[in-house]
Amino acid sequence: MSEHTVVGRKVARVDAVEKVTGAAQYGADVHPPGMLYGKIVRSKHAHANIRGIDTSEAEKLPGVKAIITQDDVPSGRRVFATDKVLYLGEPLAAVAATDPDVAEEAAELIKIDYEVLPVVQDVMEAIKDSAPRLQGDDTKDGPNRREITTQIRRLSRDKENDHSDEISKLEAELENYPDEVYYNISAESHSDAGDVEKGFAECDVVVEDTYVIPRVHQTYMEPHVSVASADSSGKVTVWASTQGPFAIRSGIAGTLGIPLTQINVIGTTMGGGFGGRFGVIITHVPAVLLSQKTGRAVRVQMTREEEFTDGRPAPGCVIKLKTGATNDGRILARQALAFWDSGSVSGASIGSTIRVRGVYKIPNLKVDAYGVHTNKSGTAAYRAPGAPQAIFAGESQLDEIAKRIGMDPVKFRLMNMREEGDAVPAGASEPKVGYKETLEAVADAAGWWDREAGENQGWGVAVGDWTNGCGPGGVYVSVHEDGSARIFHGSMDITGTDTAISQIIAEILTVPYESVTIRRGDTDSAPYSTGSGGSVVTFTMGNTAKLAAEDAHQRILELASERLNMNVDNLELKDGAVHVISADPPKSISLGELAAYSLSTTGGPIVGKGAFARQPSTPALAAQIAKVEVDPETGRTRVLKLVASQDVGFAINPMAVEGQIEGGTVQGYAWAMMEEMQYGENGNINPGFVDYRVPTSADLPTVESVIVEVPAPNGPYGAKGVGEPPITPTLATMANAVNDAIGVRITELPIKPEKVVDALKSNGH
Amino acid sequence: MAKLQVNLKVNGDEHDLLIEPRKTLLAVLRDTIGLTGTKEGCSTGDCGACTVIVDGKAVTSCMVLGVTASGKEITTIEGLASDGELHPVQQAFIDTGGYQCGFCTPGFIMASKVLLDEDPNRSEEEFRHALGGNICRCTGYTKILEAVLKAAEEVRTTA
Repeated sequence: MSEHTVVGRKVARVDAVEKVTGAAQYGADVHPPGMLYGKIVRSKHAHANIRGIDTSEAEKLPGVKAIITQDDVPSGRRVFATDKVLYLGEPLAAVAATDPDVAEEAAELIKIDYEVLPVVQDVMEAIKDSAPRLQGDDTKDGPNRREITTQIRRLSRDKENDHSDEISKLEAELENYPDEVYYNISAESHSDAGDVEKGFAECDVVVEDTYVIPRVHQTYMEPHVSVASADSSGKVTVWASTQGPFAIRSGIAGTLGIPLTQINVIGTTMGGGFGGRFGVIITHVPAVLLSQKTGRAVRVQMTREEEFTDGRPAPGCVIKLKTGATNDGRILARQALAFWDSGSVSGASIGSTIRVRGVYKIPNLKVDAYGVHTNKSGTAAYRAPGAPQAIFAGESQLDEIAKRIGMDPVKFRLMNMREEGDAVPAGASEPKVGYKETLEAVADAAGWWDREAGENQGWGVAVGDWTNGCGPGGVYVSVHEDGSARIFHGSMDITGTDTAISQIIAEILTVPYESVTIRRGDTDSAPYSTGSGGSVVTFTMGNTAKLAAEDAHQRILELASERLNMNVDNLELKDGAVHVISADPPKSISLGELAAYSLSTTGGPIVGKGAFARQPSTPALAAQIAKVEVDPETGRTRVLKLVASQDVGFAINPMAVEGQIEGGTVQGYAWAMMEEMQYGENGNINPGFVDYRVPTSADLPTVESVIVEVPAPNGPYGAKGVGEPPITPTLATMANAVNDAIGVRITELPIKPEKVVDALKSNGH
Repeated sequence: MAKLQVNLKVNGDEHDLLIEPRKTLLAVLRDTIGLTGTKEGCSTGDCGACTVIVDGKAVTSCMVLGVTASGKEITTIEGLASDGELHPVQQAFIDTGGYQCGFCTPGFIMASKVLLDEDPNRSEEEFRHALGGNICRCTGYTKILEAVLKAAEEVRTTA
């Protein structure tokens, strides 16, 4: 039994009533008087030179109040394309009008003169010499060439000795790798531990495969929206659907050259984010520009179609992976070469390729990763960015190895998992994490050890790891004369975090959860708080809230000490009152009385302050098992059972934690089985829910969640971030289950029925 | 664009309005009447976030023109609770954690309400299929189904 009274218990969320009555205010629900409607004019081609933009017809349309292009961006920072567009849907201009339909009409009347250029959409094509160069000369060496050129550079630097013979030998060696000159590279990342060549040489089994993971959209249900209002003094107010109001504030300031203090960002209730709701250019900056130009409030809202063409989805990638193990089940070496489709910007989670390491002791590991430019929109984070892709490759291949050496896939994983104290590359040793406990818990809950499978049925298992982030945060808590507590902070609620913060404050102040209320401020009023992404909120804001409540707790004891004329050491706060320890008869004073008393004291009201930025986080593991049935005629896979366990450290609100596990697992399922942004000759071809299918309740059974609690030393009450881990293993869980059911290994997601049928055919069925 | 006269009965209130024929019922509810509880998630009738009840039937209001709803009885999420008392479906969504970001929730609640009015004796499997027109991205549906089954139980026992 827990020693806690509020944390660790299922509670209804603080925003429960507003969410079920339609009262919660999302971005598009904000409607200042006289508001105009903005519309972004987008490229109709995936790659083209822009020869001209003619706005004259649109300007004549009644109701049109402003049209802006890059010429209207005083800082010159790129908001709209000018001479060239790099993807279908890239913004070229924006319109503000008195009515949304008029704005749309006007956008269509703007004539763009395009000179269409050749397009490249596939990463493996984009790296070839034959591909059009999208952003200048971004040529990089592949892994082997890179090693040789590094040696050449090192030798050339040594001016004391003559290395010309060695250098010419090495230069000749470069000729062996003509395909290793990669074009359109946006970024690269490399890491190396041990000696993979030596490692593979000692292996009994080596498996090599190429895994292809599609670009998918976060598909938060609320499309991006902002309402901006610039007043005559230059002050800008922005109601933004965002995960990070403070990031949006600094983003607007940086892009438009407006002083920080002249911008107030009000985060509206967020209709899902999953990492995709941090972008500043997407709607916020155009809304501000249009408002500045018209002197009126302007709303810019994306349609679902615009979300698909110009959102910032999760990158697809191609991962060539090689793993070697001994016949007795020890993984000795793993090597990855990955190409991430970063679209028109750089980055794209390429650093996450290292997650092919998983939670295993792999003494020899080499990872080379490249970001590749294609004619697509840029990408952004999506729930554990990069991890689902890398872990799909890693965990699929582990299954293949387990099969070749004849070991049970759960036992094989348990045997290779890192343990507390093991060395980890980042320096410190492995902390205590419930890797084995979590995998064992899911195996037990799913009935893995005595599993049965009928014809065309199979079981799959996989695990995925992730570590929550951490960031700066501030919380105030005030205690009022009625004994209630009010929390004030600046972080966006990401499906339950305000509730967790409230529970922590109630726990420490020993008051009922119901007597705590929470208010989120805007960037003008609230203390700085980190963005709500990277599973940071409960960890960061939970710690911050704890500090604020402890500060208030201290003040409460001081007040009681004054009031009761007792030493603080003889007092304790319990059940909403300060009690004199072992007093007979009992003596106490309630929080309400102390709050009332505080108003006339020298020290003043009870206000606790908490500020926090960083403590080391502890990794978390998600482990999942699926049982599926595949119809070999149609290729359709039906999930019969899906069980998900997770080491959450400590579940502050178990109902919310289960919700995160269930939701993340279904997103992983969808990535494995259904979702794929598809690109044709001229950009995205499935920008809607008919062609880009996301799961509905009809697609899946109940997800069974299993909470495992191995406390994180620095988490509030031992809590870890819970939002991201559950999506990480599901892609491989599903592929492994399909493989177990019908004996074919699908390495290219999603596992659509036609792929299954084709794979069965080529297997001789 | 020329406007047409319509009469909408929304949550028991009469609204005599002049609206452009191109405006959807969703746009009229949100922008003209100011009932923003009904959400716009896709504008193509695929996600169900804009579900309202029109003459007893669940309707995606982004696919209905406002002018065609003239004279009909419309209930939105704002009209579901009566006298400050939440409808059993609303209460069940709270009790089971059947919502997370809450954006799809009004649509789910309205769709569920109609399903319960029609037949609260459906099986879980039947509810799963009947709610297939509403998309939720946060919950994975497990707790939504719990909510609907709990509300069905409540409706059956109080009926």
